[in-house]
Amino acid sequence: MKSNKTILVFAALIISSMVLAACGGGGLAADPVTLNWNWGTEPPSLDPSLATDTTSVDVVGNTFIGLTKFDPVTGEVAPYLATSWESGEDADGNQTWTFHMRDDVSWVSYDAESGKVVKDSEHKTVTAHDVVYGVKRTVDPATASDYSYVLYIVKNAAEINGGSEELTVDDLGVVALDDYTVQFTLERQAGYFPAIAGMWIAYPMPQWAIEAHGETWTEPENFVSNGPYVLASWIHGGELDLAKNPFWINADDVQIEYIHGLMIEEASTAFALYENGELDSVGVPLPEMDRVKSDPVLSADYYEAPTPCTYYYGFTNTKPPFDDVRVRKAFAQSIDRQSLIDNVTKGGQIPATSFAPPGIFGAPEPGKVGLPYDVDAAKASLQSYLDEKGMTMDEFNALDIILMHNTSEGHALIAAAIQQMWTDNLGADVRVENQEWGVYLKTTQNDAPLDGMPHIWRLGWCADYPDENNWIHEVFNSDEGENRTRSDNADFNALTVAAGSADDPAEREALYEQAEQMFAEEMVAYAPIYHYTTVQVTKPWLTRHFPPLGANDFYAWTLDDAARGQ
Amino acid sequence: MLRYIIRRIFQFVPVLFAVTLFTFVMMRAIPGGPFDAIGDKTLPPQVVANIEAKYHLDWPMWKQFASYLLGDKILGEEGLSRGVLFGDLGLSLKFRGQTVNDIVATTLPISAQLGIMSVLLALLIGIPTGTIAALKQNTWMDYTSTFAAVVFISVPNLVLAPILIWIFSLKLGWFPVATWGAKPPFFLGIFPRFSQFNMSYFSHAILPVFALGTSSAAGISRLTRASLLQVINEDYIRTARAKGLREQTVIAVHALKNSLIPVVTILGPLFAAVVTGTFVVELIFGINGMGKHFVASIGNRDYPVITGVTLIYAIVLVIANLLVDITYAWLDPRIRFD
Repeated sequence: MKSNKTILVFAALIISSMVLAACGGGGLAADPVTLNWNWGTEPPSLDPSLATDTTSVDVVGNTFIGLTKFDPVTGEVAPYLATSWESGEDADGNQTWTFHMRDDVSWVSYDAESGKVVKDSEHKTVTAHDVVYGVKRTVDPATASDYSYVLYIVKNAAEINGGSEELTVDDLGVVALDDYTVQFTLERQAGYFPAIAGMWIAYPMPQWAIEAHGETWTEPENFVSNGPYVLASWIHGGELDLAKNPFWINADDVQIEYIHGLMIEEASTAFALYENGELDSVGVPLPEMDRVKSDPVLSADYYEAPTPCTYYYGFTNTKPPFDDVRVRKAFAQSIDRQSLIDNVTKGGQIPATSFAPPGIFGAPEPGKVGLPYDVDAAKASLQSYLDEKGMTMDEFNALDIILMHNTSEGHALIAAAIQQMWTDNLGADVRVENQEWGVYLKTTQNDAPLDGMPHIWRLGWCADYPDENNWIHEVFNSDEGENRTRSDNADFNALTVAAGSADDPAEREALYEQAEQMFAEEMVAYAPIYHYTTVQVTKPWLTRHFPPLGANDFYAWTLDDAARGQ
Repeated sequence: MLRYIIRRIFQFVPVLFAVTLFTFVMMRAIPGGPFDAIGDKTLPPQVVANIEAKYHLDWPMWKQFASYLLGDKILGEEGLSRGVLFGDLGLSLKFRGQTVNDIVATTLPISAQLGIMSVLLALLIGIPTGTIAALKQNTWMDYTSTFAAVVFISVPNLVLAPILIWIFSLKLGWFPVATWGAKPPFFLGIFPRFSQFNMSYFSHAILPVFALGTSSAAGISRLTRASLLQVINEDYIRTARAKGLREQTVIAVHALKNSLIPVVTILGPLFAAVVTGTFVVELIFGINGMGKHFVASIGNRDYPVITGVTLIYAIVLVIANLLVDITYAWLDPRIRFD
């Protein structure tokens, strides 16, 4: 009898808790227009000085605004916090960039109790001092910012960030001329600087909030920001929600009022949530690609958007037999990139023969420079090497050529396909190896022992800002970049430097094209494979862009709730 | 008994120290560091130096370990570490601004809820099916239970979980596809709050608990069957029957209790493993548990996180094993610890 009573009480408790749960929730008068989004992973940091990955940059870029932005459609530099800018020269002949800012951007935060966005009572508008603080903070070695090196173009930044004894952050080449004008002084001419000035590491930052809360200033209860959205809640590793900032400059045009963001890491699970109508837009996992393309509903949702990233195979230019340009040429020219894309990667990627992808200032048109797929030329090139060395193909294959990639299913598939192409086209035997990412980076470092260095290895590169300087110069200039290919050509190095500091955009473009051509055709230091795409499905009720760079422009998207059937 | 327990707890100290030391040293022995690169980009040396200085990775190894263990204050250094001995598991190197304590406090409760439910499910399915299989040895019931057990042991969660999602969430629409029904803050730091303890909570839990519970259930079922078959042939069971006890009493009171000793033995490690998070099930069901940190933090070279979660796992394991030993004494009166 007693136990029956216990069961009854327990049942009553469960039922009442269900009723309570059903009554709870709400709080908002009307349901806000809500985007159901998948961030994909926990953003490692929402601190603009510390953000490095796409997820963090996506959140930071929607909660803060920079001096400039990349147009979400064209990718070109456009006004944002600054309405105009011009370059000049200081007394010492250094280049300066002066940005004239708007005076109507508010600092805001989210009040979780009332569910409302509130203006900061003390610090009303975003000023040039906030920008100066943000830039200095990124460069300050105590901040320990990963991306600080992008600002090394600013006067004294490299010395200060390197822990200089004589210079402090106050010697940095950035100054507020008045409350709404900020001026940068550069180390050397940089026509691409307006793009860098709009990056998250140079955002205006709330000094008072950062100093009051230290490392926890990015938690929702402490977060102060100035962008189209505010941080409404953040359950680490689980969910991150953004709410519309009604005080934002273009708030009237922002239609999506709330972004409910999950952090589903497994692509197939996110895709299942999409099919179940719980997410409005997701990436398509490779195994689903064929089904999506053939399904009448899903294929209508499908979109391939180019992403400014390039997948490439580097050659170790100092390791025999790849120290000979003819061997490198033979291997580069016997990769059938289109076949690889059609049969393996399947996402409509663009075959690459040069480094910087379309949309990057100075990037050559795809296919214009570089070595095309040409089996006869490849064979001839290898034969000429073999003849000179008096080698047979068997002797060549006895050199045990290694292609290495970091451990990943996708890289393994690509490596297997290209390995087969080399066998079919050249008769070359290449051994494929893989290593865990951190180990792999050490193995292929440009000062790692040559013995352990593979002959051929994969890497990718994605744009930080849309200019060739970020590509051919920062990656392959052996004086300044990391250049894992170990190629060393003084003419090439001089060319990328000249292209970066030239004044005339047309001249810069021409010089970059020359540099791309030299690196891919004459030096053949590497074999570009393809330019990335992101393959997404989007529900018909969501109208969105696919910004090639930086954060998603949620503020410009629209969502038709009626069509969704809410 | 109490003296035994106290003695065991003292024995935990060297075990946990060794676990911490090994994890700490071995992780740092792997080539590559946490700040070598952003994506495919290598960082300039002075940038790496700034970050390493902030997290004291530029210190000699013994000093880093001392700082991790005892805190920076005792070493007379300025720093952020308060020491594992004082409950501070350190700062995550990957998730800048988050402490390992924060990460554990957010994710461990969810893993524990999932784990406890799946162990309960495993026992609820495993012991009865194992018992029936043993009592009805070589009948269709035995064969069915054996067959089911082999299937659930053999099919990995990596396969089972997506199939469950496809059938029960996408095709039938009975359960949610993914995520967990409870969010922090948790009741007593572990359990879902009363307002979240509802139908939605259970409907989110059913598929992952099933996926995680069935493979353990299969193991428990096989073990119960084998052990019970052995016990049934013991002399004391014959005695019990001979003195005229009802068959139900013989099985429930005398046979089953003794046959559970092997089951309890595997329950300790099993409990520790599932309660601290399972990588595959949590990943596929999009559950924000601790399992992912065991795997991701190695790739990230996030030293404090991997050391922290390993230590938590070790603590749960030694406690679970202690509980197992205590349960032995209850199950088998011949076992005495004093």
